Amino acid sequence: MATEKTIKSAFESMMFVWGEPLDPKIAAEAFGIDKNEAKKYFEDLLQEYAEAQRGVRIREIAGKYQFVTAEENFDYIRAICTPIRNRRLSQAALEVLAIVAYKQPVTKNEIDNIRGIKSDRVLEGLLQKELIEVKGRSEAIGRPILYGTTEVFLSHFDLETIKQLPLIDDLEDSFNAEPPRSVDEMRQTTLAL
Amino acid sequence: MSYKVKLNIFEGPFDLLVYLIENAEMSIYDIRISEITEQYLAYIEEMKHQDVLVGTEFLVLAATLIDIKSRMLLPRRNPDGEMEEDPREELAARIAEYTKFKRLAAALEAQMDAASLKITKPTEDLQNYIGEPDVFLKMDMNEFILAFKAFLYKRKKNEELQAMRQDGAVPRVSIAAKKRSIRSLFAKAKKKILKFRAFLSKDGGRNDSVATFLSLLDLAKEGTVGVRQGGSYEEIEVELK
Repeated sequence: MATEKTIKSAFESMMFVWGEPLDPKIAAEAFGIDKNEAKKYFEDLLQEYAEAQRGVRIREIAGKYQFVTAEENFDYIRAICTPIRNRRLSQAALEVLAIVAYKQPVTKNEIDNIRGIKSDRVLEGLLQKELIEVKGRSEAIGRPILYGTTEVFLSHFDLETIKQLPLIDDLEDSFNAEPPRSVDEMRQTTLAL
Repeated sequence: MSYKVKLNIFEGPFDLLVYLIENAEMSIYDIRISEITEQYLAYIEEMKHQDVLVGTEFLVLAATLIDIKSRMLLPRRNPDGEMEEDPREELAARIAEYTKFKRLAAALEAQMDAASLKITKPTEDLQNYIGEPDVFLKMDMNEFILAFKAFLYKRKKNEELQAMRQDGAVPRVSIAAKKRSIRSLFAKAKKKILKFRAFLSKDGGRNDSVATFLSLLDLAKEGTVGVRQGGSYEEIEVELK
């Protein structure tokens, strides 16, 4: 019977070789243990690495686990090489990606309406980069395609789940908005201009 | 009145509109519609001047702006005598929605930048551990021995060459001298035909062979000798003319 120590040790080696996020389900099969038990060991390891402040950490992406370098060491890594950072996305791509990420599942038409411009080619690019995928079809007329984000998206943006998406404060802050006044009053000020 | 608008790259009509509104420091809930419409149209005009393709989307919003402007000038009451709702309301809602996602896009970008500080590694190349063992393990032993012998021979030759270079021991052979020696060999042998080998000096090495060959070519060109060879790699026969 494998002890907790040997299982964790094996999981570390497996994560190292695998590189990509490793599914606890697959790791569990190696020992014939329950998936949830495996997940607990991965969680333990994640904690241990974080507490010991190791230069290599474990992160969770969509319920899978992966070794990553500690972000505070980025500058030191740069001393030995120039890591290729994720290629930057265009402003249009970021806009569409934001709409898909925060509103998913979402149709192309909804995206176009928000942006006031067609997004076909941008969507195509995001699909190709595997940041978004087809999630199914809407029940609306014409059964339009619904888009959502992928696991690649989560890992690209270092998010455990989609719930971790960054939030912004209330919209009102961004405008020098006075509280909306009565319609008549508004009309008068405008006409006075 | 003309507007000097620097042509930024806008992602769409809303992007442009939001830029103009922010620039004019207006609230989206209280847009000075005639001012913005004028600026918006001026911008589109500028785009045309600079041969930027103006997408239909830009024109659609221009039409919307003009429509709102006209409705603002002529406030209407509905049959119940109430004022119509502010014609700018729908536009404000759409701008708010668009701006929200523009800000979320910026938040995402910041998140992406932070994420890029963490480096992952690709899956190990497991090629060496999968399937057939490497080819060299299956190599025939004799082939292996031959290859090794060839390697040893080459290395020995290389060493010799190296030694010669270092010693400066390579004797210089001049073509003119060689030609003279060829003529005298013919005279001595009192024969019309001699084999190529006959002209090589003992222990002359490669340099001598080359010099001999070049001399013969030269003599053949002068018409002093004729050369023939029965077949590839056969001895060359030289005939004095």
